[in-house]
Amino acid sequence: MPEGLVVEHLHVSHRAPEAAPGSGTGSAGGRGGHPILSGVDLAVAPGEFVALVGASGSGKTMTAMSVLGLLPPQVHLDGGTIRLGGTDLARARETELNRVRGGRIGMLYQQPKRMFNPRRTVGSHLREPLKLHGGLRGARAGARALELLAEVGFEDPRWCARAHPHQLSGGMAQRAMVALALAGRPELLLADEPTSALDTVLERQILELIDRERRDRGVGILYITHNLATVSAYADRVMVMDTGHIVESGPAGAVLNAPQSACTKALLDAAALNPARTAPSATEARPVVVLDSITKRFPSNGREARPAVDQVSLDLREGEILGVLGQSGSGKSTLARLIVGLETPDSGRITGTLGADADGTGAAGSHVQLVFQDPHDSFDPRMRLRTSLEAPLLRRRDTTSEQRRMRIHEVVQEVGLDPGLLDGFPGQCSGGQLQRLTIARALLLEPTVLICDEATSALDAVTQRTVLDLLLRLHRNRRLSLVMISHDLSVIRYMSHRVAVLFQGRLVELAETEDLFTGPRHEHSKQLVAAALPRVCAILDAHRLPQEQVDALP
Amino acid sequence: MMLFLARRAATLGVTVLLASFLVFLIPYVTPGDPVRKIIRSRVAGEVIDDSVLQGLTAQLGLQDPLVVQYLRWLGRLAGGDMGLSYASRTPVVEQVVPALVVTLSLVVLTLGTAAAVSVVLGIVAALQEGRPADRVITTVTQAFIAMPEYWLAPLLVLVFALNLSLLPSAGWEGPASAVLPVTVLALRPISYFTSAVREGMLDALGAEHVVAARARGLSHFHTVRKHVIPNGLLPLTTLVAVWFAGLLGGSVIVEVVFAIPGMGRLLYDAVLNSDIPLAQGGVVVVVGLAVVLTTAADLIHGLLNPRIRGHHA
Repeated sequence: MPEGLVVEHLHVSHRAPEAAPGSGTGSAGGRGGHPILSGVDLAVAPGEFVALVGASGSGKTMTAMSVLGLLPPQVHLDGGTIRLGGTDLARARETELNRVRGGRIGMLYQQPKRMFNPRRTVGSHLREPLKLHGGLRGARAGARALELLAEVGFEDPRWCARAHPHQLSGGMAQRAMVALALAGRPELLLADEPTSALDTVLERQILELIDRERRDRGVGILYITHNLATVSAYADRVMVMDTGHIVESGPAGAVLNAPQSACTKALLDAAALNPARTAPSATEARPVVVLDSITKRFPSNGREARPAVDQVSLDLREGEILGVLGQSGSGKSTLARLIVGLETPDSGRITGTLGADADGTGAAGSHVQLVFQDPHDSFDPRMRLRTSLEAPLLRRRDTTSEQRRMRIHEVVQEVGLDPGLLDGFPGQCSGGQLQRLTIARALLLEPTVLICDEATSALDAVTQRTVLDLLLRLHRNRRLSLVMISHDLSVIRYMSHRVAVLFQGRLVELAETEDLFTGPRHEHSKQLVAAALPRVCAILDAHRLPQEQVDALP
Repeated sequence: MMLFLARRAATLGVTVLLASFLVFLIPYVTPGDPVRKIIRSRVAGEVIDDSVLQGLTAQLGLQDPLVVQYLRWLGRLAGGDMGLSYASRTPVVEQVVPALVVTLSLVVLTLGTAAAVSVVLGIVAALQEGRPADRVITTVTQAFIAMPEYWLAPLLVLVFALNLSLLPSAGWEGPASAVLPVTVLALRPISYFTSAVREGMLDALGAEHVVAARARGLSHFHTVRKHVIPNGLLPLTTLVAVWFAGLLGGSVIVEVVFAIPGMGRLLYDAVLNSDIPLAQGGVVVVVGLAVVLTTAADLIHGLLNPRIRGHHA
C-alpha cells in the first residue's frame, strides 16, 4: 500500500558560511546554527489535501524545499527522515532526487511568472519534464504538451505553447505552471501559496484545477498558505506551523472550529474579518474628492487600446472609507494614480474640494497620499529609513531638523513602531513594519485622503489584520478619508462603507457595502461575490463548488 | 517591430549625414585655400596657372552654395569616388578598401579571441563565485585594464620578437604576425567581457526560475547549460558589437607599432602628411561603420529579448 509523503523529526538550520565546512550533516550539532525547522512531522496520503498554514517566516516554504532536496546553500538538513512511497529522500543520491523532482513531486509557486525562464516559451519548458520523466521527445512531446495545456483550461493551447512567459497574465501563468507540475505525472503536488497573488475568481479556478487532480488521479496535495479561507473549503487536514514547529494538526473541521494553540487562534482571528463594525457613511457628508467622467487611455503599439479608466464618476466623502473592487487589469491602480495626480486624465475633471486644484488636473498636493502594494519597492534600499521618511518634510523650509525629528518619531509611534527602527535600512524590516512606515511617511504630510492600493495584499493574514486595524484607527482618530483598493473581497468588506466595482475600466456598481455583498446588481459583481471562498467561520466543508458552477467560472 | 526598425533606420540616416557633413567641411576649416585643396584632390597634375585654376573652379562648381557642393560630394562618395590622395596621387578608395580589410580581420580576430576567452573565464568565475578560481580570474582580468597598449605593445615586441625571436615584430602576413597585435588589442576587451559574463551569469544563476528548473528534475549541469548560460551571455552580445565599433578607429596605436597596413595606420599617415582626401575617406568609412555597428548592437539586443520581439510578433 502506498504511504504517500511522510516527514518525521525534520530539523533544518541556517548556518553562516564559515560555520559550515565541507563536513556532512549532524557533526555541527547545535554549533552556530540558527534553527529554521525543529522536529517537523507531517504526512500526506495519496488523494489527501493537506494544508500547511502559518504566518510568513514560519518555515512553510523551507519544509517544501527540504522535501525536494533544494535547500538554499547556507541552509542544512540536520536530521530527520523524508520518505515518499518508501524512498528515503533525505538520504537519496542526486540522480535519484532528479527523478523524484518533477517526476514524482510537482511544485507550484506563489509567483509563477518568475518561475519561467523569460527567454523560453512555455512549450519548451513543458518539454523538459516530458523528456526527463516521460521519455517523450519531438512531436510526441509537443502533442502531450498541448494536451496538458488544454487540460488546465487553455482554449488555445498552441498559442500558449508558443508564448513567452511575459505574454501570460498572472492567472494564465499559474495554469501553465500547473500543467508543468503535472507533466511528470506526479503522485504529490507541493503548492507554495499558488493563489495568494491572484484575485478571487482566478484563485477559485486554480484550486479547482488542483483538486481535480486529487479526485481523479489520487494525487496527494501539500498546500502551503496563510489563507484560512482556502483551507476551510478544500483541506482534509490542517497543520499549523509557527517558528519551525508544527503547533497543531488535525482534521480541518476540528482545527478551525476548536483551535487549541494561540497561533491558530491568531490566524483564525485575522482571517475572520467581520464586517459592518461602523455605521454606514453619512450621506450628507461633504465630498473631499470628486471625479467627473474621468477617462484615461495608454497608447499601446499604436493600436487603439481600451481605456484603462473609462468615464468614471465618483465622489469620496469626508471621513468615508470607499472600497474599490476589481480584478487585475480593471483599472484600479490607474484610478489611484489619477486621483493623486501621478497621471493626468485624458478627459474629465478631478476636483479636491479641500486642496488647491487651480489647473484642474488633479486633486494633487499633500492632502492626498498614496500607499503602494509592495512596501519593499516603496523605499530606497540604500537609504536609511529616517532619511526616506524625512524627504517629504524637506519641502517645507520652515522646519528645523530637530522639529522634523520629533515629528517623525511621533508619527512612527502612532503607527505602532519603535523609532529605533529608523536608523536601519529597509532590508532589515519585515513587510508589515515597512508597510507601517509607508503609512507613517504618508501621514507626515497631514493628508486628508489616504489611498491604499492593495496595501495589504503582499502581507500574511496576521500582519494584514494588524495593518488594516491601524488604518481603521487612523481613520477614526484623524478623520481620514480612505480609498481601499483591493481584489480581496474580505478586506473590502471589512473596511469599507461603500464599494465601487470596476470592470474593464468602467464603474459598474457603486453601493453600500452590505448591499453589494448581499445583493450585487451588476453581472460582474455577482461573479466576484460568487467566486469568493466562504469565510472561515461560516462553514467548513460542502463548499466545493458543484462542477457546473466551476465550468461557469470565466 | 516595423515601426521600431523604421525609427532606428531614420536615426541612423541622420547620424551618418551629420557625420559626413563634418567630414566634408574638413578642407574649409583647415588652414589654406579650400578651393586649391579641393582641386588638388580632383586633378592629378599640378595647377599653377591662374586661368586654369578659375576654369577648374567653375568646372567643379566650387563657387556654388555649400549645400549644393555637399550634395555633389555626397553623390560622388556614394559612387565610391573619394578623390585623389595628395601623397600617392592615386584614388583614395584604392587605399581605403585594402586597409579596411586588414583592420576588419584584425578586429574580428581580436574580438573573437576576447569573447571566447571571456566566456570561459566568466562562466568559471561565476560558478566558483568567491572561491580562489573566481578571485584569480577577477584580479588578473581587472589588471588588464591597467595595461595601456602603447606600453604593452613595445614590451611584447621586445620580449617575443627581439629577445626570443619567436614571433615577427611587424607586418601583417600569416598567422604568426597576428599573434602579438591581437594579444595586445584583446586584453582590455577580455577584461570588460569577463566581468560582463560573470555578472550576467550571477544574475542568471540567482533567478528564481533556476530553482524551478531544478524542481522539475533537471540536473545542476543541465540547468546551468539550458537556463543559466544562454541568459547569462545575453549582455555580452551588445558589448561585443559596441567594442567592434570602437576598435575600428581605436586600433591606431597597435597598427602603428606593429606596422600593420590597416585603417588606423592609414589615418595616422593621412594626418601626418596633411593628406586631406585620404583622411576624409578614412574617417567617413570608420564613422559610417561605427554608426551601423552600434545600431546593429541595439537591434541584436532587441532580437534576443523576447519581451521586445514578442510584442510585435
